[in-house]
Amino acid sequence: MLRLGRTSLRLSLQFAFLYSVLSAVIFVGAYWFSNYEVRNWLHDQMVSDTEILIEIFQENGIEDLAKSVDVMAAVNFENARILQLMGPDGTVLAGNIERIVGSERTGYISADKVTIDGDHDDEISGYWVTQNQIGQYVLLQGTGNHVIAEVLEALGISLISGFILIMGLGSFVGVWVGRLTEQRIEAISGTMKKVAEGQLAARIPIDEASNDDLSRVSGSINSTLEQLENLVESQVQISNDIAHDLRTPLQRLRQRLEKMSSRDVVVPDDARAALEQTEDVINTFNALLRIAQIEAGDRRERFQPADLGALLANVHEAFEPSADDGGRTLFITPPEKPISVLGDPDLLMQLMSNMVENALRHTPEGTTIEMQVSHVEDHPVLTVSDNGPGIVAEDREKVFRRFYRGEKSRTSGGNGLGLSLCKAIAELHNAELVLSDNAPGLRVEAHFPPTAK
Amino acid sequence: MRVLIVEDDQETADYICSSLRELGHVFEHAADGKAGFLSALDSDFDVMVIDRMLPGLDGLSLVKSIRSADVATPIIFLSAMGGINDRVDGLEAGADDYLVKPFAFSELSARLTALARRPPMQAEETKLQLADLEVDLIKHTVVRAGEPIAVQPREFRLLVYLMRNAERVVTRTMLLEGVWDFHFDPKTNVVETHISRLRNKIDKSFDRQLIHTVRGSGYSMHA
Repeated sequence: MLRLGRTSLRLSLQFAFLYSVLSAVIFVGAYWFSNYEVRNWLHDQMVSDTEILIEIFQENGIEDLAKSVDVMAAVNFENARILQLMGPDGTVLAGNIERIVGSERTGYISADKVTIDGDHDDEISGYWVTQNQIGQYVLLQGTGNHVIAEVLEALGISLISGFILIMGLGSFVGVWVGRLTEQRIEAISGTMKKVAEGQLAARIPIDEASNDDLSRVSGSINSTLEQLENLVESQVQISNDIAHDLRTPLQRLRQRLEKMSSRDVVVPDDARAALEQTEDVINTFNALLRIAQIEAGDRRERFQPADLGALLANVHEAFEPSADDGGRTLFITPPEKPISVLGDPDLLMQLMSNMVENALRHTPEGTTIEMQVSHVEDHPVLTVSDNGPGIVAEDREKVFRRFYRGEKSRTSGGNGLGLSLCKAIAELHNAELVLSDNAPGLRVEAHFPPTAK
Repeated sequence: MRVLIVEDDQETADYICSSLRELGHVFEHAADGKAGFLSALDSDFDVMVIDRMLPGLDGLSLVKSIRSADVATPIIFLSAMGGINDRVDGLEAGADDYLVKPFAFSELSARLTALARRPPMQAEETKLQLADLEVDLIKHTVVRAGEPIAVQPREFRLLVYLMRNAERVVTRTMLLEGVWDFHFDPKTNVVETHISRLRNKIDKSFDRQLIHTVRGSGYSMHA
């Protein structure tokens, strides 16, 4: 299907137009130049012929001159040369010109005004004629213009055939390349259309062998689509999780309220339980919103130097009695010298608290939990490690998902948002949260970016 | 206690007003920022409750305007759920405390009481006393009925906070903020375990309990 909107076809037509304009200019130039050169050449020839004839006349007289003129007229080819020798009284003495109509005797004379002995060549449309005096005789000489016509014809034919060839080949290549390109652009726009219609898994087919601009564009579109698909998937996942995780407490709350409304007297215990359930729902919402807001990153404006060791000591002090009551040992290894990072102290304390709470919640009694701030190379590292059951390697990434709970920990409470929040806070501080095997147990580390000293 | 409530949501305002009335407080309600500003200048209040999102004049600007009009009445700022920078913004604007919606009235009430009777800064305050319990702020010592009691630094801070707010209810969140600088809610019973340890030291060997649990609200220290 040919459409003028197509870039490649439009380009080849533009080139064809440019070529024809250029050809026309070349043609006019060549015409003018050849005409000029050929005329000069023919003129020179006639001048030299005249000189020869003058010599013959001076040496041998009029009869030899007349004979020579006749010979010259006879040997010319297809009457391209015409000659006439006239006496002083105007009588024709020699030559092949019978008659010239009109009064012009020099310059360009149209072929139909000249009657000659024999036939014209059809290609001769006129003659350049000169007139010379030899003694008392007059010599008319003419040369047909067909040489020029031949030259121009050859020139014209080559230019026109070149034009046709370029037009033909150009449009063919243009259309061919255009069709190839169009197929690929069609593939891109088709894919985008599918994505717009909701098929997020659609990808542009890429020929691995080629590495041209379209392949690169297709590659980056594909990776954008990949990212988009992941984002949408996680959004869907989160919405489902929220729906699922909030439906259960809301359902229980509803049942309790229904039971309460059917009674005449409200039992305070019932009301209190209902309040507690409301509190749970609100807490989950708050945690989700907090994660979302931390992820939005506007908190960075308030970053200030924060002493990790001091913050960790505060968190240790807060949780130590609870850990002790729960039969776990929580101890802290303070850094040798103060370690500071640029950050939000409130959020850093929440990060530490969540790391500790995670360890407290998911380990059995008798577990030892260690909190530490240290330098690894030039990175400040915050570590909470325990010697509990740990997490199998394949589950370690999953724990950062919102609402994720390992099979064993389903019953151990928590809203499944603790480590998601840790990850959000770590990312806000450009820190990397790493889970590893503490052999035995779990080791959670937050690697902060190197601090300028 | 005279309270000004600037809150545009009628249901929330009714809830706060009726709860305050039950406690015997006097209140005035303004439904938008401009009316709130006029009321704040017009009469004397012990404390003001100002919502963050208000028609007319937003809460933040209202607090700034009130402060620039040289009104020093304590202000508690109410924020819609979650605004993570709201606390700092609110305090920078001149508010004295901050509470996130949705909140329990007991929390608001405890904070209002704490703010309204906040003692003027006493430079020479060196000792706190409640019944036979004495706390020396300079020497960091605790003595009950003449018996010295050894407490951890954090327990000391907790005790001082409770004693400064004696006779009033102190909520769990107020303690988390005031004693540990925790502006989030740990899932672990941090406050409960510390209170129980402090009780073991302060109250256990005495007949008269000084630290009381207020069910559904928090704690209160009184003789």
